[in-house]
Amino acid sequence: MRVGIPVLDELLKEIPKGKTLTYYIDPEVEGDVFAMQTLFRNLEDGYRCAYVTSTMSPDSLRNRFREFGWFVDEFENFSIVDAYSHYVGAESKERYVVRDPTDLNEYDRVLEKVLEENDLVVFGSLSTILDICGEKTLDRFEEWREISDSVLVSNFTAWPYPEEVLERVKELSNAVVTIGGIHHRVVLGHYYGILKVDWTKVRGKAVLFKVVKPGGVRAYIPKILVTGPYNAGKSSFVHAISNRAISVDRLGTTVALDHGKVEYKGFTIDVFGTPGQERFDPLLRVLGSEALGVILVVDSTKPETFPRAKQLLEKTTRFGLPYVIAANKQDLPNALKPEEIRRLMNLPDTVPIIPTVATKGVGVYEVLDALIRLLIGEGYGESEGEAREGFEGS
Amino acid sequence: MIMRIDVLGIDVDSNNIMVLGPPLVGKTILVRTILKEKVCEGFGGIYVTTKDTAEGVLDWFGRFGVEGVKVIDCVSKTIFSDAPDTEDVKRVSIMDLTGISVRINGFLERYLRSGKRDVVMAFDSVSTVLMYMNPHTVFRFLHVLTNRIKSFGAFAFYTVDENMHDERTVAMLKQLFTGVIELRDNGDRRELRYVSPSLRTEWREFTISGDVLEVSS
Repeated sequence: MRVGIPVLDELLKEIPKGKTLTYYIDPEVEGDVFAMQTLFRNLEDGYRCAYVTSTMSPDSLRNRFREFGWFVDEFENFSIVDAYSHYVGAESKERYVVRDPTDLNEYDRVLEKVLEENDLVVFGSLSTILDICGEKTLDRFEEWREISDSVLVSNFTAWPYPEEVLERVKELSNAVVTIGGIHHRVVLGHYYGILKVDWTKVRGKAVLFKVVKPGGVRAYIPKILVTGPYNAGKSSFVHAISNRAISVDRLGTTVALDHGKVEYKGFTIDVFGTPGQERFDPLLRVLGSEALGVILVVDSTKPETFPRAKQLLEKTTRFGLPYVIAANKQDLPNALKPEEIRRLMNLPDTVPIIPTVATKGVGVYEVLDALIRLLIGEGYGESEGEAREGFEGS
Repeated sequence: MIMRIDVLGIDVDSNNIMVLGPPLVGKTILVRTILKEKVCEGFGGIYVTTKDTAEGVLDWFGRFGVEGVKVIDCVSKTIFSDAPDTEDVKRVSIMDLTGISVRINGFLERYLRSGKRDVVMAFDSVSTVLMYMNPHTVFRFLHVLTNRIKSFGAFAFYTVDENMHDERTVAMLKQLFTGVIELRDNGDRRELRYVSPSLRTEWREFTISGDVLEVSS
């Protein structure tokens, strides 16, 4: 059985019989699509698949599948376990019905049959069953695993439950895939990564993704903007951090875009350098609309350009993006120190200002590190979660 | 961070405000009136409805010529399973708290990326959610939501029916809010006041006529 999710398919290979996989989801991230995609992939492969719905009616669930272009009703090997309708006082026409979704014994009765008759059983929201039936749900889940050699896949929304509950959920599964958000005022981006798996060896990776309709989960490469005043050293910066980079130049200055591809600590990032001249400012809006962060390069020897630098910062970060300052040309006489730049530009203490010499590659990766830490938190690169070690687009 | 609400004649100093009062006292019209005022001033507006369909909500705002309110409709899916989403209307089941949370964040992200930082949200009503889910579940959901509203810098108003839930539940929920608009009905007059750790207004009489709420000066 396959997972059906980009990158995870290559990493996890096949899910062996009798194993459980949990999608462990940030409460603000659209993560239910993961288990749906796993189910649909296996429906297409001819496996008998059942979906336990606790948060929406069977018809709404079918419509939800349809939004992604997955017409589950065309498959005879698909069935719904309706654990919703009776909870809201509605009737159900489904083959499997949990008549009292507040009673775990009723789940036992229904799931025994479901697990015997299906190769894959997906719990659309294990956390909702936990919310309704209490923590004993997790004991029962352990028992349900033993009923047959069906594969169990669950969505679990990681609300702020007691820590022991969250840990138990992870322990109960043979594989846990975290689905997280990049938080900065709002959730600006989403990623997934393998937290644990016991049937194959996997190095921790995290993949940025978007949910597209139709289509489902699609991995993508994040975009970072490098901006700054004219002649601050943006092109040098982009070339210094990129494995591959091109610039469109005329008379030695950038008139269109710098573009670089950065492979760093497992991250794959598209870097776009914006031209510094004001006539190109309308480009910033287009570039900023999908970017995840901004690096502002300033010429540390030219404080007279700082007002323009601030203007560029305002234009690009009006999207609410996190940003880092590269205090460039630190090798030149009269280069201002980062703290002097902070004072002159009136920047908050929380904004990282990193000294750089872009032409020699000095400090450029420290800038990237600082931005990555802003994007995915202080846990980056530490043992807390292997999944946070890096991004990878497909 | 203080926000003036002219129609009520009060300042509020909390990002997350509980609107607490007995059933039928006018909580819904109060939060709609606040949202209407703020959207007219240029704020972004989000309305989470658990009692009325998106069409009902948009119709109400439309009667005042107010457009652009984003609605999360937790009603329609219970009635019509194929009720479609639009750019500004997202429909989720009331049982799907993750879905509600994701849609709110989606609207906030859209406002952020369009450069709009001033946003007001109405959540009408928490009491309906409590009819379906236990208080601890609702608390966890609201814990995530109130933190999001605070980190965005938005203002949100959550209606709660007084006397419909036990005291423990209301006390637990109150921990999440740093301001409360209290409403009461004394038989012949209705009154409201705003209470927070640093602000406390006098009780002020208000009247409701049709769709219009007015506070006595």
